[in-house]
Amino acid sequence: MADKKNASENPLKINRRHFFSQLSVGIGSLALGSLLIPDLFKGNSPTLGAKPLGIPHFAPKAKRIIYLFQAGAPSQLETFDYKPTLIKRMGEDLPDSIRNGQRLTGMTSGQEKFPLMPSAAKFKQYGQSGAWISDFFPHMGKIADELCIINSMNTDAINHDPAITFFQTGTQQSGRPSMGSWLSYGLGNENQNLPSFVVLTSRGKGNSQGLYSKLWSSGFLDSKHQGVLMRSGKEPVLYLNDPDGLSRSDKRHLLDHVSSLNKMHHVETGDDEIESRIAQYEMAYRMQMSVPDVMDIKKEPESITKLYGEDVQVAGTFAANALRARRLAENGVRFIQLYHQGWDQHGNLPSEMAGQAKDVDQASAALILDLKQRGMLDDTLVIWGGEFGRTNFCQGKFDPKTFGRDHHPRAFSIWMAGGGIKPGITYGQTDEFGYNVVKNPVHMHDFHATLMHTMGIDHEQLTYKYQGRRFRLTDIAGNVINDILS
Amino acid sequence: MAFTIKKSWSDALVFGLSVFLIFCLIFESYIELPSLVGWLGNWHPLILHFPIVLLVLAVYVNLVKKKISRHLLTLATLTALITAVTGFFLSLGANNKGDILFWHQWLGSGLALITALWYWLDGQKLGQHILVKILQVLIVVATVFAGHYGGMITHGEDFLALPSGNSLDKIPKDPIIYDHIITRIVDEKCASCHNPNKQKGEYIMTSLKDLIKGGKTGKAIDLEHPDKSELLRRLHLPKEDEEHMPPSEKKQLTSIEIELIEEWIRLDASDTLKLHHLKSDEPLVALVNTFIRPDATITWRKLPEVDNTILENLSSDYLTVKRLANGTDALSLNMYAPPQYSEHMITGLTPIAQNIIELDLSGLPIAEKEMAFIGTCINLEKLEIDRTQVNDSTVTQLKALNKLKILKIFDTAISDTSIAVFKDLQSLEKIFIKDTRITNQGVLELQNTRPSLNITYTIDEELVSYFIKDSVSEVISEKK
Repeated sequence: MADKKNASENPLKINRRHFFSQLSVGIGSLALGSLLIPDLFKGNSPTLGAKPLGIPHFAPKAKRIIYLFQAGAPSQLETFDYKPTLIKRMGEDLPDSIRNGQRLTGMTSGQEKFPLMPSAAKFKQYGQSGAWISDFFPHMGKIADELCIINSMNTDAINHDPAITFFQTGTQQSGRPSMGSWLSYGLGNENQNLPSFVVLTSRGKGNSQGLYSKLWSSGFLDSKHQGVLMRSGKEPVLYLNDPDGLSRSDKRHLLDHVSSLNKMHHVETGDDEIESRIAQYEMAYRMQMSVPDVMDIKKEPESITKLYGEDVQVAGTFAANALRARRLAENGVRFIQLYHQGWDQHGNLPSEMAGQAKDVDQASAALILDLKQRGMLDDTLVIWGGEFGRTNFCQGKFDPKTFGRDHHPRAFSIWMAGGGIKPGITYGQTDEFGYNVVKNPVHMHDFHATLMHTMGIDHEQLTYKYQGRRFRLTDIAGNVINDILS
Repeated sequence: MAFTIKKSWSDALVFGLSVFLIFCLIFESYIELPSLVGWLGNWHPLILHFPIVLLVLAVYVNLVKKKISRHLLTLATLTALITAVTGFFLSLGANNKGDILFWHQWLGSGLALITALWYWLDGQKLGQHILVKILQVLIVVATVFAGHYGGMITHGEDFLALPSGNSLDKIPKDPIIYDHIITRIVDEKCASCHNPNKQKGEYIMTSLKDLIKGGKTGKAIDLEHPDKSELLRRLHLPKEDEEHMPPSEKKQLTSIEIELIEEWIRLDASDTLKLHHLKSDEPLVALVNTFIRPDATITWRKLPEVDNTILENLSSDYLTVKRLANGTDALSLNMYAPPQYSEHMITGLTPIAQNIIELDLSGLPIAEKEMAFIGTCINLEKLEIDRTQVNDSTVTQLKALNKLKILKIFDTAISDTSIAVFKDLQSLEKIFIKDTRITNQGVLELQNTRPSLNITYTIDEELVSYFIKDSVSEVISEKK
């Protein structure tokens, strides 16, 4: 009875009888497989999931990623997609030929008219590349020649939860592993004393949507690949520090005993999650030493902290997180994801967005400068952007001072910089209304494929078999955007 | 009698096909094919496998002195003849027969006719005659060569050539753009279908004249309006487009290769242009330089082999040793502040010293012995020793690192004395030296001797003042 339960829970731990009964079928299907797929046994042809884990498939350009996620979806029309036509045609109804049947959210589907609303911010061209950037982001303008702005991002989802889940896991339904978990699974830890996937959150004054730990969950992958949320303040990881009166050697003894008990249980049940648990206890023990050191930004010289702006001194701000992100990157964390909440401007866009931009503009740009002077920009990929775009028409009352914009999946803007990405280019184009992509579209799956490519991973080769089929971050789609690779 | 009827029927067919084949070969230039007959030619690559097997089988059986079945010989002869005839039809589609096709055609036709002769002789009960044995040997030889030439037509001439190790060596330092770069790209990605023997779309790309001339769709390279060249248009089309070249299932050109061809056409598609003729700010120069830079993974092939168990034994919680990519012996090595550091942690790595390509010892208290060890890692390409105790005297250990491309040595006590060492690192591309005792004078000196070296010394002052001033003024304005 116990045997049966064990076999169903841990199908890989089969006994001798299972093994032999399945062996015959196995050999037969191998022979059949080689007839049907002639390349099956050729050494050099790619077989799914055959590449060893922990090593890049090919020499990577980027060693790590810092993802500055702007949760809530900043408007492309107030960031990087300059559309003068909207000024000329302000107040006109969005032509049906442009909207072309695009579904709307419940928030604007009742609107009788869709009056076009121009950008709340002025635009300027910056740097040698002449990139268009709005006045909300003057510091980013100063480093425009380091950025690769993509104006042709598009997604399938129109509401926050499915859209952000899509960004994180490659699908709109919850439950799959987050991209940071995939990279941790594919490349392993660089530093054994820190998790390979770390999450830092901050919140602006703008209209916010929720953040939840499922976004950095490892899904069906081993739980050691899960993102670790580091809090601001004294205790970045809860319960990491020893309670008063417990010395480090006591802790060691305790861990050794717990570990021996866990090992016994592992032998009994064969559940591999127990091994992960043991590894995590050990990691936490080492993190007691490494985390406080890495997260302490007081060690940074003033010349650096000042770059990130005044906010950097306030724990829990985007600026403070950006600087901690750099320190984490320097210490071998592979995937550092910052979330800044508050970009959901359904109303009061001009003032809310100005505030949001002020939260992140200087620190984001400073991060690029800081990485560059340390020689880290060449192998660190920095990404800035939200989960979708916003409509070019006004939501709510038509007032240039208080208008809002609704969700828009068909086109939005992000930027990437560093690690294997061409600097100083603007890629992709939308129509004159900023509504549809007309040139070089980048779909979510293409984005994921490209991101993995910079890290030395062939997105079609990194798979995990679960519930009878192989899964990958890009599922069954995705093309690497070669044009933006350096 | 059923047997005789069948016999005469097959005799007649062999005779008829042989005559038809000879007729075809003689009047080749006068033949215009109806399209349906031309379509029959497409079956050639399928049918040809039958005579190969059947002929070799028949010859083998006969040579070991077994009397062979008449049916086997009949089938072999018929398929050989049909193959030759369909092959002839197929070859009429190519409008210009190259050497290989020429040989393939005559060997193949000859083979079919010799087989027919054998068939006839065998019918005359001369199957064991010495002449027939000679014929049989000829048949096998002709089969091998006809097959080989046929294979070269479909798979390209180099298909069976031995892999040529490091072909990048062949590109000289001052390459002729057409001969050494463009031809190379074309040979690798285009020429297997666009050569004198297999002119897809009637386009040959193996000579400059033909490359410009184009094929069915007209001129491929437009020297007056380079941007409008058909060749470029096809390269730039999305991969899914029918007209995109190379076809989506074939190996694609990289973006650098496309840009190279584009720039070369813009500069009049010359076959004499050399790299040194170009001004240094010409985009082609940078492209050529990237293109001819040897692929790192090729140089890594010469590294000594390292076993995974060695890597596992060396790795610890504070030392990460990893292969840079799957299947190479090039290693990256990272050490993170261990609680109890000792120099042996680094000097103990001697067994893999030559395999270390990337070494990160940032922030560790490394001194003389460790630096001496680094000096033995002769294949190092990237070294991070920022925030360490390295100084002007220990830095001299780096002299031997002639493959070093990136050096991060910021936040250390080195001064202008170290500049002499950096000057001599021939492969050095980037150096990071902020927060050291190196003066502006020193930086200038280094930059003057090594103009292409990328030196990161400080952040641009104007930029810094913009960032810092900004944050101050914001606070003031908020207080108001």
